[in-house]
Amino acid sequence: MKLQRVSAIAAREWREIVRDRLFFALAFIVPALLMLLFGYGLSLDVENIPFTVVDYDRSALSRDYSWQFIGSRYFKFQGYSDSESEAGRKLTSGQVRMTLVIPERFGHDLEAPGRAAVQTVIDGTFPSRAMTTRGYVEAINADFSRERLARLPVLSGMKGVVLQSRYLYNQNVSSIRSLAPKLIMVVLMLSPPFLTALGIVREKENGSIFNIYSSDISRGEFLLGKLAPYVAISTFNILTLWCFACLLYQVPFKGDFAFFLLASWIYVLCTTGIGLLVSVLVSTQVAAMIVTLVVTMIPSILYSGLIIPIASLGSGARVVAHIVPAMYYADIVVGCFLKGIGPGALWRQLLVLTAYALILFSLGYALFSKRPRT
Amino acid sequence: MDAPLLTVRDFGKRYGGSDAVCGLSLDIARGELFGLIGPDGAGKSSFMKAVAGVLRFDAGRVQVFGTDIASDTGAESVKSRLGLMPQGLGQNLYGSLSVEENIDFFARLRMVPRDQAERRKHDLLAVTRLAPFAQRPMRQLSGGMKQKLGLACTLIHAPDLIILDEPTTGVDPVSRRDFWGILGDLMESEGLTALVSTAYLDEASRFTRLCLLHQGRALATGTPDEILARAPGAVVQCRVVPQLEAQQRLAPHFPHCEAMGQTLRLFVEGLDREAAGAAVRESLNGLDIETLDTMAPELEDVFLALLGGERAATLPPGQANTPSADEPDAILAQGLTRTFGEFVAVADVSFKVRPGEIFGLLGANGAGKTTAIKMLTGILPPSGGSGSVAGADMRHAGALIKSRIGYMSQAFSLYLDLTVRENIRLYAGLYGLGRQDGDERMRWIIGMAGLAGHEDELAASLPMGLRQRLALGCALVHRPRVLFLDEPTSGVDPLGRRVFWDILFSLSRVDGVAMLVTTHFMSEAEHCDRLALMFAGRIVADASPQELKRQVVAEAGELYQVTTADARGLGKALAASGFPGASPCGRDLRLLSRDGAALAAAVSAHEAGARVETRPIGMEDVFVHLVSRLEAEHGGAA
Repeated sequence: MKLQRVSAIAAREWREIVRDRLFFALAFIVPALLMLLFGYGLSLDVENIPFTVVDYDRSALSRDYSWQFIGSRYFKFQGYSDSESEAGRKLTSGQVRMTLVIPERFGHDLEAPGRAAVQTVIDGTFPSRAMTTRGYVEAINADFSRERLARLPVLSGMKGVVLQSRYLYNQNVSSIRSLAPKLIMVVLMLSPPFLTALGIVREKENGSIFNIYSSDISRGEFLLGKLAPYVAISTFNILTLWCFACLLYQVPFKGDFAFFLLASWIYVLCTTGIGLLVSVLVSTQVAAMIVTLVVTMIPSILYSGLIIPIASLGSGARVVAHIVPAMYYADIVVGCFLKGIGPGALWRQLLVLTAYALILFSLGYALFSKRPRT
Repeated sequence: MDAPLLTVRDFGKRYGGSDAVCGLSLDIARGELFGLIGPDGAGKSSFMKAVAGVLRFDAGRVQVFGTDIASDTGAESVKSRLGLMPQGLGQNLYGSLSVEENIDFFARLRMVPRDQAERRKHDLLAVTRLAPFAQRPMRQLSGGMKQKLGLACTLIHAPDLIILDEPTTGVDPVSRRDFWGILGDLMESEGLTALVSTAYLDEASRFTRLCLLHQGRALATGTPDEILARAPGAVVQCRVVPQLEAQQRLAPHFPHCEAMGQTLRLFVEGLDREAAGAAVRESLNGLDIETLDTMAPELEDVFLALLGGERAATLPPGQANTPSADEPDAILAQGLTRTFGEFVAVADVSFKVRPGEIFGLLGANGAGKTTAIKMLTGILPPSGGSGSVAGADMRHAGALIKSRIGYMSQAFSLYLDLTVRENIRLYAGLYGLGRQDGDERMRWIIGMAGLAGHEDELAASLPMGLRQRLALGCALVHRPRVLFLDEPTSGVDPLGRRVFWDILFSLSRVDGVAMLVTTHFMSEAEHCDRLALMFAGRIVADASPQELKRQVVAEAGELYQVTTADARGLGKALAASGFPGASPCGRDLRLLSRDGAALAAAVSAHEAGARVETRPIGMEDVFVHLVSRLEAEHGGAA
């Protein structure tokens, strides 16, 4: 192993990255941009649902009932509608996502010993949002009913069970808190393999790889020199993304920073290794981009616990999740940020990632040939 | 003789099921400049990569410096003494790095000690005359400069054997000659051995020994003279009126007969010059023979003779169709000018092309050829001047021009994943031909291009020669009266090239199609009726190839070849005694001189055994002479 050759390759690679606008952007700007776009675009919180009310009753009680919704932070009132068909039009045009229909005699029925009925129509195009909306409607409706019951003198002595729930690790159940750390996982899964695969395949495509093939540099020296700048850039990006999570998205960091850094670095080695493996298997930059996109984007978003918890995946999908490194690093990064746990609880995941990196690099090294068949 | 530096026996390389190279054997001795000559796809690159140890091969034995490179370890062990410059203009260099940074990178990659690397870098930059551009990013260099930088990078670690894959492809003739000169100097001063490939047959005489490669097999191996001796015969060049009838009469008797502009050129196998001349005269009995010269054959003649010389397409019979004098010019350019900001790309260009005339536009890269063509084809409006193409005014009838001309460039015209039939149908559709008309043109194109039997093959699977004829057919689908051809035969083997020019000749003479050809392939230039040379945006010469040659001979004298044992020493001595500009040619020197006797005296004063002979001047000599003179007048561009 001659250090001079390794540094010659690394220095040249570095110069090319910083002088090539596309590569520079890919290395330093795209990761930050992805973090921003995903962060603002992927919010799973359902708030400010636009809604309208068709009040056929127009009594004090019906107004009171409506106000329960109008005053809630989960809903955003878009004015009354005169008829169900008008409300239907608003629903179709997307102006509102929920309508409440209060029938005639609502106030009357409520005062009488019978029961009053209210209809709600919810836009069901996005099932999870619709379910959440229904949950909110039911909760507000239940609150209203309980208050009314409590006012009845007969029941004033009765006490129901009041459920007090507290969410651990993420008190407000705000989705960005759990998302932001996992976004670090996604971005570090996408950016290093892209850079690495394009960097190596570019040389294959334009023929400068023959400078390497035809010289007496060893495979190891070349790969070390070639990959070092990419690992360095990704290491810098770990810090950038960490800052984004802490400062912009205000996610508290409760864990051990040194452990987080070490684990992230090993994860970056893993994903760089994926890029290396892609680059030895394909020979054009277009192919490299497509293959990298497929093998990184889908697993990191669907099989990592980013949106759907691993436990809720089907059994086949769960197997996939276990063979992709994203899930293990997601455990680590969520543990470090939200749970404040460290190597004591996460050493298994770290071990898997290390093994992963070793296997990918060994494969890449074995398959890289200075004397290919074609 | 020392043990050979490179020994190859029965070399074979296969891709998928097909042989790229088969049964190739050769030896290269220390100090040789060995040439591998063949068209695209002949197997040159595969062989060179295998020798450089960067490609596995399937059969045979390859020994470099006496080491067998069948195993990876063997191949690895010789790499420190090898240098490889792969194909492509500067493709293996790093565009965003400066000239100096490129050289420094190769020096560090090759572990050259620092002080030694600095010294060599300095020397190589001086020899290649790149020193003034040391800080310039590689991607801003011209093609010729990129190749010189590539050579410097390949040589930085002082290898014993260098392998250069088509170093002169895509480079203009002046830079090409410059490159050969530098390579000769460096080989001499460093005791180098070089294996160089080229697709240009006219470069063959530059090698000490060479191998003609065709479809993966060696056709002939030896010194240029040995190869010439393989097919004895003579070349007859004559000017006969009417030309078409003469050719139709000669073709059955002489298989190697082709039209070169206004003249006919024949290779007569087996006869000496006198007998060949007599035989041709006899066949032409009754026609008006204006001139008839005989000369020694060139390598291209031998190459074609060795291939068997069977013609794929015979000349279609037809009546010569001399356009009447009152027919308007096919192309007329008057004072065409185009500026881009401050930069004047084309300045005051005027010329005309008659119907049925083949007009060649020559020039180095950046001389303004492409801009001129863009204006003439209606793509780019001129900033000044006027002109008409096929009767349409080029200032405001861009769309009309496009519908009346055909345009063919090897690089872009075909859709490789469509079949022959689909390609033709597509072009017929693009030009708005009806179904019946389209079918008729389809039959015409398939017949003209000799594509019968290939109708349902993918364009990608056709050999280069056929593919190029298909492209020509597609350009002609709407019966244009004017045809633009952009380097139409680059990458095609000599046989395919000859058939292609036969077709163009017949199109021009029988159908009266006017053609404008741009090229820096000198052998293509020879086929034109008239040539215009562009330099720095202007037309600086406009005459027939013969006339241009006569002008250069009148101006600078005859072309002499000096056979010598010490080309480098003699070149310097001649320059000192008033005979500059000698260029190396194999082990010999070539130069233009007006005083043959004085040259012979100067040569024998330096070396008693050296021989001086005259040679017919080629188009490349003309081009290089004219451009060098203009460059000198313009204060010596780099």
